[in-house]
Amino acid sequence: MAERRCPVDKQLIIRGVTRTSLRNFFFWILPWSGILAVGLYAIYLCLAVGLNQTNMDNRFAFGVWIFLDLAVIALGAGAFFTGFLLYILKKDELKAVINSAVVLGFICYSGAVGVLMVDVGQPLRAWFTFWHPNVHSMLTEVTFCITCYLTVLAVEYSPIVLKNRKLKQVPSLMVFEFEIHKVMYVLAGLGTFLSFFHQGSLGGLYGVLRGRPFAFREGLAIWPSTFFLFILSAAAVGPSFILFMTWIVSKISKKNLVKKEVYSLLGKISGTLLIVYVLLKTIDTLIWINKTSPSVGFPAFEFYAWNPFGTWILFAEIVLFGLIPALMLLNKKVQERLPLLVTAAVLACAGVALNRFVMTIQTLALPTLSFDPFLSYLPSWQELATFGAVIAYGVIVYSFSFRYLNLFPQERDLNQL
Amino acid sequence: MFPFVYGFTWDAGNIIFLGLFFSAVAVIVSTVMVATLRTRKDFALRKQESIRWESDFHDLPSSARKCRHEFTGEFKHRTCDNSFECGECATHAKLIEHALQNAAAEEPKENAQQKIYGFDMPLDRMYHRGHTWARPESDGTFTIGIDDLGSRLVGLPEHIELPAVGTRIHANGTAWHVKKKDSDVRIMAPVDGEVIETGGPEKDWYLKVKPISVKVETGHLLRGNEIRPWLMREVERLQLSLAVESVGATLADGGEPVKDFSKSYPSANWDSVLGEMFLEP
Repeated sequence: MAERRCPVDKQLIIRGVTRTSLRNFFFWILPWSGILAVGLYAIYLCLAVGLNQTNMDNRFAFGVWIFLDLAVIALGAGAFFTGFLLYILKKDELKAVINSAVVLGFICYSGAVGVLMVDVGQPLRAWFTFWHPNVHSMLTEVTFCITCYLTVLAVEYSPIVLKNRKLKQVPSLMVFEFEIHKVMYVLAGLGTFLSFFHQGSLGGLYGVLRGRPFAFREGLAIWPSTFFLFILSAAAVGPSFILFMTWIVSKISKKNLVKKEVYSLLGKISGTLLIVYVLLKTIDTLIWINKTSPSVGFPAFEFYAWNPFGTWILFAEIVLFGLIPALMLLNKKVQERLPLLVTAAVLACAGVALNRFVMTIQTLALPTLSFDPFLSYLPSWQELATFGAVIAYGVIVYSFSFRYLNLFPQERDLNQL
Repeated sequence: MFPFVYGFTWDAGNIIFLGLFFSAVAVIVSTVMVATLRTRKDFALRKQESIRWESDFHDLPSSARKCRHEFTGEFKHRTCDNSFECGECATHAKLIEHALQNAAAEEPKENAQQKIYGFDMPLDRMYHRGHTWARPESDGTFTIGIDDLGSRLVGLPEHIELPAVGTRIHANGTAWHVKKKDSDVRIMAPVDGEVIETGGPEKDWYLKVKPISVKVETGHLLRGNEIRPWLMREVERLQLSLAVESVGATLADGGEPVKDFSKSYPSANWDSVLGEMFLEP
């Protein structure tokens, strides 16, 4: 018996694929909308009352929001890296996930920029950073690059939206979509350039902190080693995040979205870059333990004397969430077994999130002067609600995109009997 | 940011950093501008229909994009990436040249009637992959209609929107629209031409067109011995698109095709089936 469907909704869904009923979709979106609403109220409090709504202070100025920003920007790197592999290096197999990668990238970056606006506390003065830039600051570079890259992502997202079944009936939109798609390689190249620099500068931001020996690193010319490690780690986990998201969307929607080979390819790319990253991170850590840190008067083991940040965190970051997933992703048998491949991808994503957590929270918590205490910080509900709002915003935007846009071009073929 | 802004200095840092930033902005703006200008140019050159087809074509499932030379057994597997524009395909040109040398005797006889899997597929006309046909007439015009499989798919449509006399239609562009079971499908034109007369389902043809140029491009249309294997694939595609998920594909074990398929499969997703068969993803 055919299910009765809303005609407007039906006309928006691409032909040849099936989507859950509008009623089910509504009940899926509802709780996320609730989380988003609570988050928007928390954002309102932060902007209207002030940043005293958070548990951050002048000493602990980077909290859960900056951790979120760094983590989502690293995970969102899948967009630029997939675009680079597809449009510049012509890895055509990645056509199967490029649309989804762009949407994920857009969500990650727009979410990050949104939270930054709240974190700055004075969003109406955000233009100051552009009008009076301190060009010697890594943060200025991050601000400029992220703004430009978000614009690039919005332009890259536009043809995906314009391909919607109803919108493409409008001739001007259909032709514009066709033409913008033809010049997409230019934007892919620019996106790679911008991502390279802002991912790097986010790492450089910590590496240049001479007053924070836990984070301070030496490097090449004006760039500390963290500059390069952040680029590499983001490029490495970007494909893992796409792999994981494709799998989870496939499970929730109960549809085959891409061929198995695409999962394997994403795993292989991610594993190759991750093993290089783990190697360089290990060398960097050894140099830091044996040279950089002692040279500024801090034996490295002292940093790990403060609970809960023991040496276990270093082990977890490099071995558990670095080396192990890298070896798994590179293993041919794992590449053929999706549950294991997804497990490895999740571990890799957790690794980059842990790295960003360590660089942000642990760096600020550790004392740097003899009279400094070990600082502890627990985010307020407003901070957590804002965090939740970004996640909910992401789920909602992705859900609508998945329902009405062609995120996975192989879906129709794979689900045809 | 600019020389006139307080605090700006002409030092290397400012010049390099802001130079790169403005270059990035310029690339974004110029890329969007190029796309916009090309869009305007496409409209001026009336390329909307060919662009729509090219755009749609790449969204078609691979089963709908089989190369015509796979039907004739010249290739085991070959998917078209050329929007069925066989005139622009180097492989097609080579194969046609080869075939002409070997098989001139296979030319179909005029007005020959052919019944394939219960479908009337006369050989006096050329078939478009979107289930339309074009028949050259002695006065130089072309008659355009919908093939037997196509007409059984649309059955008795709720509404047909034919172009007005004088309208120019383009090969692979929209010829007319059909509304059936809440689904609006565009039926594709097999050849370029100017509409000189309109018919309808009751007349067995839909349009009569006068060619716009001296040479009418028909190289992309199927004919002769290509029709049987193509139709077999189309019937398979139809069966797959009508298949019930829990049952899988089934095969008819005899009988004649009914006049209106939708009456036999009232619960099928006809929007999807019509889109699939008439090549409108």
